[in-house]
Amino acid sequence: MRGILQFDFGAKELTIKLVYYGPALSGKTTNLQSLYLLADSASRGRLMTLETRDDRTLFFDMLPLTFRANKDISLRIKLFTVPGQVIHGSTRRLVLQGSDGVVFVADSQLSETDNNAASFVDLRENLKANGMEVGQMPLVIQFNKRDMPNVRSDAELVELARRGKEPVFPAIATANRGVVETFMGLLHLTYAALDAEHKLKEKFGLGGPALLADVARKLGSRVPAEELLRSCLGGALDVLSSDTSTP
Amino acid sequence: MMDQEAPTLSLDHQLQALTLGSDVRLQDLVDRDALRDLIRSFQALFGISIRIFSADGSLLAEAVTEQEICRYVGSLAEGRMQCMKTVAAARKVEPSTNREASHPCFTGAQYRIFSIDYDRRPLGKAVLGPFLPADITSVPDTLLAVDPQTDARRALDLLPLMPRAQPETISLICDHLRRTLDLILFSGHKSLLTSQMHLSSVRESYRELREKNDKLQEAFDKLRELDRLKSNFLGVVSHELRTPLTSIIGYSEMLSEGIAGSLSDDQKKFVQIIHEKGEQLLQLIMSLLDLSKLESGTMSLRKGSVSLPQLLAEVASTTLPKARKKSIDVECSVSSELPEVQGDAERLRQVFVNLVDNAIKFSPAESTVRMLARPAVASQTADGEAGFSLLEPSRRMVEVCVIDSGIGIPEEERERIFDAFYQIDSSSTREHEGSGLGLSIVKRLVEAHGGRVSAGPNEPSGAIFSVVLPIMASSHM
Repeated sequence: MRGILQFDFGAKELTIKLVYYGPALSGKTTNLQSLYLLADSASRGRLMTLETRDDRTLFFDMLPLTFRANKDISLRIKLFTVPGQVIHGSTRRLVLQGSDGVVFVADSQLSETDNNAASFVDLRENLKANGMEVGQMPLVIQFNKRDMPNVRSDAELVELARRGKEPVFPAIATANRGVVETFMGLLHLTYAALDAEHKLKEKFGLGGPALLADVARKLGSRVPAEELLRSCLGGALDVLSSDTSTP
Repeated sequence: MMDQEAPTLSLDHQLQALTLGSDVRLQDLVDRDALRDLIRSFQALFGISIRIFSADGSLLAEAVTEQEICRYVGSLAEGRMQCMKTVAAARKVEPSTNREASHPCFTGAQYRIFSIDYDRRPLGKAVLGPFLPADITSVPDTLLAVDPQTDARRALDLLPLMPRAQPETISLICDHLRRTLDLILFSGHKSLLTSQMHLSSVRESYRELREKNDKLQEAFDKLRELDRLKSNFLGVVSHELRTPLTSIIGYSEMLSEGIAGSLSDDQKKFVQIIHEKGEQLLQLIMSLLDLSKLESGTMSLRKGSVSLPQLLAEVASTTLPKARKKSIDVECSVSSELPEVQGDAERLRQVFVNLVDNAIKFSPAESTVRMLARPAVASQTADGEAGFSLLEPSRRMVEVCVIDSGIGIPEEERERIFDAFYQIDSSSTREHEGSGLGLSIVKRLVEAHGGRVSAGPNEPSGAIFSVVLPIMASSHM
């Protein structure tokens, strides 16, 4: 179901759908709230929260971000969270439909190890139900709540990231740390995947690095996009280096 | 990369378009009447007419007061024409996103148009006006030139009646209206999305349930087929066993009767044992056959009117030989007003023979086994129940009790004795023989007649088996 390019030729808009997935209470909504705070007011839309009860997401949260990809084309990014609680399986499947990339927000606490794994298996199953394979979906993993006690150590995360496939980012979403980095990491992977599939650069003159640099600026980053991506603890994010080297 | 084996969820296009905001329409997000009320209050506050158009150009709501000057111009043939042209042209103005545009009228008045956007997409536009810019103090030539019959003095009297506004004020009004609409559109979009999400979730849950139901149904069908095969197997095997057994019984009987020459006492005794055990085995096989028929629902009852006094008398005589061996009396007392019951006489005889046989088996020598038959009423019938006079006659029952003074049945066993193959004393050295099928067949036969059977205690010792049968073929509970 991925691969349907959301490109509106009339309005010259490219729409990308990114989904924040993960176990209950891992901080998916907090990630969106943080991005909302950090983004400049011209780029962000309203953060829409659908039906929360006791501060828990029931359907999803949605944050629209709009950037100018180049002078002609605007890039619309729709960020979604899924409800983490196990019972909302059908909602998660629906929200995942048509997504171009996924951030998996894991809870760093050791006690959450099982929930993280179960939620990832759930993601895999739900992607499959939507006709997608997890290996083909641009995916980054965020280990959130790095400031909590009894969390998996940095060294261990580095080791896990080195042996794993997905880029891993550490974060403290409540303090706005690691949030932009994670987002940029996924945008980078997603853009590369869309470009490979739909030749965005060739057809529309949309260049990845320039776009990333613009997005990073609009998200209030004082460092270049490459540096944000470098905070990745490991995993295959090196598409960028080959990408940036091309003029 | 579709996985052909996994059941794939079909893309919910409506939800997709709504969440990505690519298919949001002004008319879906706002209620027209409520929108009209809102802009009426704007008009009441600022005195300026407002019209709201959707993206496709159709008028969604308007709050318009005709100005005196407009009415006057409209009364002139050429003026009316020009006025219509101006209004149509104002409607066609396309302001860019977040911008306003002005459109002049030949009266010197102006229209202000702004685009109604949501999520940076134009959903429609609002047209405010006409209003008179503050700097217009005289009747413009364009107004006088529009129709040769225009009365300049009349125009001068009427023109100042039009609401005046500074361009900055109009911008503020537009901005205020835009923000108000933005809030409404956001809330409307949210509600629309929520309800669509509800719908989609329900649809998805339903799909999921249906899939599970199909699997359950499949498993159920398989089990039912297995059950049918089991009953079939039992039926076939029983039949195949019975054929050679008939020969064993027949020949051992002929041997013991001396048809093939005289036997010594020991030989005769042995052959009789072969014959006796053969009969037992035959009984067991017949019981199994009955049970499998009852379980598979293939036993057909030949129902007719059955006279219980006659039936019970036959039962007593059938069981007489066994009773005599233990010097047990079998008594039968039948109430005189006992009606006939609808049932299969042969199967009912089997029921009572079985119960009386059991009673004899478990009674001490020289005791009495009694059969007692009397009318009964279904327990749920209560005086004053709605339709009592119609329902009660259909619920009349007959109760037949088989009473012995044997060892009785412990209370906790009274339900389970009706299970197939169940024996209270299941040890290999148990005193009383039997297959453990008799009572389960009794129960199924009675139930096939719409009745019920239960066991209770007799005083001071023994058991009472009560069989309650409906008089009518069908009983309206």
